[in-house]
Amino acid sequence: MNGRVRLLTSLAWRNVRRQARRSSLTAAAMIVGLALLMFSRSLAEGAHEDWIDAGVRLGSGHISVQSPEFRDRATIEHRISPGQIEQIQEALSADIIAAEVTATAPRITVRGLASSAAGARPVVIMGVDPELESAFSNLADKLAEGRYLQPGDRLHAYIGTALASRLRLRLGSRLVLTAQDADGEITGQLARVAGIFESGIPTVDEGLIHIPLATAQEWLAAEGELTTFAILLRSSKSVASTFESITSRLANSSGLSVLSWHETMPELDGAVRVDDFGDMIFHGILLSIVALAIVNTVLMSVLYRVREFGVLRALGLSQVQTGSVVFIEGLILTISSGFAGMVLGISLTMLFFHDGLDFSFLFDSELTMAGIVIDPIIIPTFTTSLILNSVAFITLIGVLSSFYPALHAARVDIAESMKFEA
Amino acid sequence: MTHNTDTSVKTEGVWKIFQTDGLSIEAVRDVSLVIGAGEFVVLAGPSGSGKTTLLNLLGGLSHPTKGRVWIADTDITDMSERELARMRLERIGFVFQAYNLLPVLSAKENAEFPLLLRGVAEEERERLVSELFEKIGIGGLEHRRPSKLSGGQQQRVAVARAVIGKPALVLADEPTANLDREASRALLDLMVTLNRDLGVTFVFATHDNELMERAGRLIHLVDGEISSDNKQVVR
Repeated sequence: MNGRVRLLTSLAWRNVRRQARRSSLTAAAMIVGLALLMFSRSLAEGAHEDWIDAGVRLGSGHISVQSPEFRDRATIEHRISPGQIEQIQEALSADIIAAEVTATAPRITVRGLASSAAGARPVVIMGVDPELESAFSNLADKLAEGRYLQPGDRLHAYIGTALASRLRLRLGSRLVLTAQDADGEITGQLARVAGIFESGIPTVDEGLIHIPLATAQEWLAAEGELTTFAILLRSSKSVASTFESITSRLANSSGLSVLSWHETMPELDGAVRVDDFGDMIFHGILLSIVALAIVNTVLMSVLYRVREFGVLRALGLSQVQTGSVVFIEGLILTISSGFAGMVLGISLTMLFFHDGLDFSFLFDSELTMAGIVIDPIIIPTFTTSLILNSVAFITLIGVLSSFYPALHAARVDIAESMKFEA
Repeated sequence: MTHNTDTSVKTEGVWKIFQTDGLSIEAVRDVSLVIGAGEFVVLAGPSGSGKTTLLNLLGGLSHPTKGRVWIADTDITDMSERELARMRLERIGFVFQAYNLLPVLSAKENAEFPLLLRGVAEEERERLVSELFEKIGIGGLEHRRPSKLSGGQQQRVAVARAVIGKPALVLADEPTANLDREASRALLDLMVTLNRDLGVTFVFATHDNELMERAGRLIHLVDGEISSDNKQVVR
């Protein structure tokens, strides 16, 4: 650091210390503001991660691979062949992808009818690998009665409470599933209720049935074939990069379409975006208040010290150097308070809320949105990017809000300033 | 008009007109003067006669409405703010009525401020401040903050700050106005000594009769114009 910069920085630092009460008040506003920002953003981050996790586990994962037409038509006509499944598994075995993937779920999904002596209901029948699916989906955790599917099961079905009620089914009851098979024939399959779940989502509880994958493939004349290969990642943050990697590795495999959860669950994607926008407005208001606090303190300090700036100019400081003293004062306040606010925000959040905040008092029954059940307990989540973004934001606010007072100091009329009485 | 290196400051037909509420106020009117190197000059006159305004023009603290100003042989009339700042740093020292020391700096740091800005090495600064403080009678007060110094001591630090960089010109606006008689006389002695021993050119704006009596040259201003300009044999 050269002598002049050191001198200006020293002057600025001493001025911040000289106005200890005023500086402390501003610092307090910034520290509380940033701590609130960190807390609020970590909650939003945690909530969104929860929503996405719930959505992708019940749906088709963070990323799914399907036949290009399956997304629009969802018929068994558009399947993935055993050869294509091998290509997908080979792509997933690449180190860069394998490091991000926590679970996969091979599925065969058809629309059909479930019927019992009490009647018939339209349903989505999903053939799943019991072991892989229980690691992937959260449906196994929503057990109300009985058990989830197990390896070796053949004619077992896992159905929702609403469907059980409509078709008057109980554990061990028989039901007939009817759907179009791979040859275009309408075909039926007998099944027995092994377990009943309650997801809290009416459409799922009334319209989704899990049966063993092997049973579904045999029944639907789709031996070794799938309609969807669902992939679950460590975090939704790695979707973009992993999506790119999988897409590039499957670029030469014709008849395969790689989709991210943004495409397969547009409602959830929209809900996250809307909530993000709301947060952005709230954070904008919060940061504006912090910015005004800085402008107020630094500008008041400048107005109080007009004569001093005149003296600095008379002694030979240029306008830029004079303004720099004020600018550095603002930066010192911002950086020190920003750091303290960040530490305070993270510490308080992790100290008091690391087990999550329970918002169940806000709603009487389960709250669903965009096809997922909102977990009333939100666990705050801190990511490196969240912390860096918050620090960058607060620094930007500090820089912008110090600029005007610095300009004011730089433009002081030297002769007039000597008449100023502090 | 010719210039030579013995000229400390010079003006030629200088006017300063302020516009206030639609009125034109002629604070300085057609002032032409030459102050030589090493002179001890007092600008005297009643309040509102334009002393401070003329001092500000001489020091490049404000721009003349008309006319030209030179510091030594450099025309500063049309200089940019940046050039003027450099000129003030290198060639002009200021002493103000209210001392105007920087409150967050010690006496030593205030005095060496112009040297710091010029990038003078620390050892050299230490030596110059130490010598000057001893010479002007404030040795031992180097580390005191302005708030811990008397008015007279503060003004001595201000004088030290003004002369430490060996400027071509020191401009002092009512330097004794806030001091008691004894402190005022001591400060005056100091500035006379600095003028005599170091050859520092001083230009004062003042009401102080004692200062006027000890001036080598007394310029009277009335309504912004020079009414008299007399050399005196004094001291």
